[in-house]
Amino acid sequence: MNSKTLFYIFKRVLLAIFTVWVVITATFFIMHAVPGGPFVGEKATTPAAQKAMEAKYGLDKPLIEQYFTYLGDIVFHFDFGPSLKQRGRMVIDIIFDGMQTSLVLGLFAAGISTLFGIILGAIAALRRNKLIDRIIMVITTAFVSMPSFIMGTLLLVTFANVLPTNGSSAGGMILPVVTLALYPMAYITRLTRSSMLDVLGQDYIRTARAKGVSGGRVIFGHALKNSLIPVLTYVGPMLAYIVTGSLVVEKIFSVPGIGRAFVNSITGRDYPLIMGTTIILATLIVIMNLLTDILYKVVDPRITLE
Amino acid sequence: MKLKKIIAVALAAVFMLSFAACGESSSSGSDSTKDTPKNSGKDSIAVSIASEPDTIDPALNSAVDGATLLTHLFSGLAKWDQSADGKLEIVPDAAKELVEGVENEDGTVTYTYTLRDGLKWSDGKDVTAGDFAFAWQRAGNVGTGGDYYYMFSVVDGYSEEDPEAKLNVKAVDDKTLEVTLSNAVSYWNELLAFPTYFPVREDVVANEAWATDPSTYVCNGLYTLDSWKHNSLITLKKNENHPDAAQVTMNTIEFYLSDDSNAMLTNFKNGTWALIDDVPTNEIATLKKDYPDEFFNVGQIGTYYVCWNINENILPEGSTLTGAEAEAAKAEIRNAISLLFDRNYIVNEISQGGELPASSFVAMGLTDANGSEFYKNTGVSTEFDGYFNTSEDAIQSNFDSAIATLKKYYKYDETEKKFTDFPTMTYLYNTSEAHKAIGEYLQSALAGVGITMNLENQEWATFLNTRKQGDFSIARNGWLADYNDPICFLDMWISTSGNNDIQYGKGDHKDIKCYSLDLTALGYDTKVENGTWAETYDELIAKIKSCTDKDKRYKMMHMAEDMLMATGCVCPIYYYTDLYMLDSNVKGFFSNPLGYKYFMYCTIEG
Repeated sequence: MNSKTLFYIFKRVLLAIFTVWVVITATFFIMHAVPGGPFVGEKATTPAAQKAMEAKYGLDKPLIEQYFTYLGDIVFHFDFGPSLKQRGRMVIDIIFDGMQTSLVLGLFAAGISTLFGIILGAIAALRRNKLIDRIIMVITTAFVSMPSFIMGTLLLVTFANVLPTNGSSAGGMILPVVTLALYPMAYITRLTRSSMLDVLGQDYIRTARAKGVSGGRVIFGHALKNSLIPVLTYVGPMLAYIVTGSLVVEKIFSVPGIGRAFVNSITGRDYPLIMGTTIILATLIVIMNLLTDILYKVVDPRITLE
Repeated sequence: MKLKKIIAVALAAVFMLSFAACGESSSSGSDSTKDTPKNSGKDSIAVSIASEPDTIDPALNSAVDGATLLTHLFSGLAKWDQSADGKLEIVPDAAKELVEGVENEDGTVTYTYTLRDGLKWSDGKDVTAGDFAFAWQRAGNVGTGGDYYYMFSVVDGYSEEDPEAKLNVKAVDDKTLEVTLSNAVSYWNELLAFPTYFPVREDVVANEAWATDPSTYVCNGLYTLDSWKHNSLITLKKNENHPDAAQVTMNTIEFYLSDDSNAMLTNFKNGTWALIDDVPTNEIATLKKDYPDEFFNVGQIGTYYVCWNINENILPEGSTLTGAEAEAAKAEIRNAISLLFDRNYIVNEISQGGELPASSFVAMGLTDANGSEFYKNTGVSTEFDGYFNTSEDAIQSNFDSAIATLKKYYKYDETEKKFTDFPTMTYLYNTSEAHKAIGEYLQSALAGVGITMNLENQEWATFLNTRKQGDFSIARNGWLADYNDPICFLDMWISTSGNNDIQYGKGDHKDIKCYSLDLTALGYDTKVENGTWAETYDELIAKIKSCTDKDKRYKMMHMAEDMLMATGCVCPIYYYTDLYMLDSNVKGFFSNPLGYKYFMYCTIEG
């Protein structure tokens, strides 16, 4: 790795930190500007009770002071504070619990979708316009155009009597993983197919063939590797989105993931949990984008990172 | 080539069709061929009542699902029980007996309870009267941060302002608990069975996170907290050390934490969960038909209603009425509009949850002084219950009388049969398909007579804020009682109450003198004519709260509801019901009017 690349990475890391800071600041102030509060319920509390709670969690202080206190706690102590709604639980524990499930779910789904996506895409490209290509294309079109809440519910009712439908058990992860994987798999298949077709038409493939390089080597050594660049662009952010954005699937299959904590924190005005989940999710997306850019270079040395 | 193309298309079509057919055949799988709960043996049951509870600390919980968990985990002085003939009653639990109070000279009432022998905490220590005294001081303190501190407002020494205030409750010795109430309260035993009154131990709750982890969760009830996979599953195991353990038939209860009604139904249909506390609204009609023995719809003491902002001007432009006259006119108009709605249509065609049309604010299920239903004794008419007739036969006469009243104030186009100068209003509701559907019905009913009402929805927390601040003209509202006493529905409307969404005695309404109160017939010297809301209603509620004579107290509560309904600001729509599905193989289950569910005495047959 040359110094130019290192400098590029350094620059990108700085930029990532800046991005996360902007996210923190914007979220913090927007969140407090939204009407309603964590201690407002259907049944009203007295001003004394309200005050006692606000004092307990430091919400009685000026907003700007709360902001700097929060920032300080995050940077120096990695302390996200206590949840205001799930009484007695720390935000970091809630996030950790949710992330464990979401990560397992997301990694499995991403792995399956990438693996099968690339294989199916390559097959479709190599058997272009043959029967198998058409079947793959029809299926993937169906999956790409079906939103996850329909796919999830469909799988739920179809397999309710065969597979566990509750995400709290290990076996119960099968359906959510499949639901999550189908869309990206279909997308990757289509991406790989078109990219591969493009690469197969390139001059250097013809040259390789003309040189007498074996069919397998042409495909795996030259064509496939080069056709993966667009796929890679998609896979990085996809992983982040699968991990963070699986709310619908989590709800349908009662999976205890992070997406649910995120949405509930917003409706309940659980300020520390809103902040905690936003920061973690934003960081994850920023990191995945950074890794994707770096990986480009590994796959295609022609790309220079500047 | 062409042939291949055709084959490919045909294959794809077959694939799509088979997929669709798959979905259809199983979703219409209402064949009721259901096994006993798969995940459960005979002595364990898997249920789903709600998603992750916010807390299962007795002092902090204010949710029904949390209360269900707590009633299994703790033994308070009293508990709800089902007698052999199926009747629900409050019986002693940790207390040897539910004693009568002794009235002191100053009108306060003292109760002295003796604890049963053999009560242990789940870590083996003895349960003492001191634990109860500590728990009550904690739960009844505004500084603790629970929502239900006001449940202790009947106890002498209670203050909703001062976090330093101490309740008049003390442990005389390890077995004897003495508590003094400001005055006799008819629902005191019911309060003793309420989760906020459950005991906790000082050294246990010193750890703020005690109630989030089974390893630190020390309780004294029929069950212990065995495991808690957050957002996923709570498992309770029978507490063999409890004196009543022999009567407990269910060794393990698994509470699956879910809030997706479709998922709940799927898991019920395939036999995974034996009870689900929610079903998809659009499936209700089918489920009722297909599962007649497993679909339950029981009364819950609450009312779904529409509330008016009392300060909203609804008189036609150019009206010369002001002050008390204007208020009287507005009250008449609001009551007339309430008669335009067909509540049978709402419950049968829109909400479809088995709710019952409401004609009073104090909900069905609350009892009167003589044990009969409070709402049936409003004394308005012997032909119907409540304040107006909700039967299908009365729809036309209600409508006609409403139109006749409104004609007094608004211009009516006889050919179009519509009012032409009713000001445009906005109906505010919190974002939800169910509330929206009802809002649309109300909108169309009003549009039928020429009244324009726009709909506006807000997300829950914002909505609460807007409604509390009185920043609306008409809003969706609902109220569920915490205990069986009409006062829960009445004291929320005093001018200083935080739940006074209607804004009685606030803003312009503060100075309007058009209310009268005469309590001389009941032996008081209170007599106010043309007073403000604070001088009449607030005064009446204060009298009710300090009254020890049951009959007088209930009479005054009827007077309070009469005053409330006369303003027309409360427009009752339906009485809530609790809807759940229970596997027909499960016996011994019961639930109480507050919606708590009891699984300890369940058995699974078949």
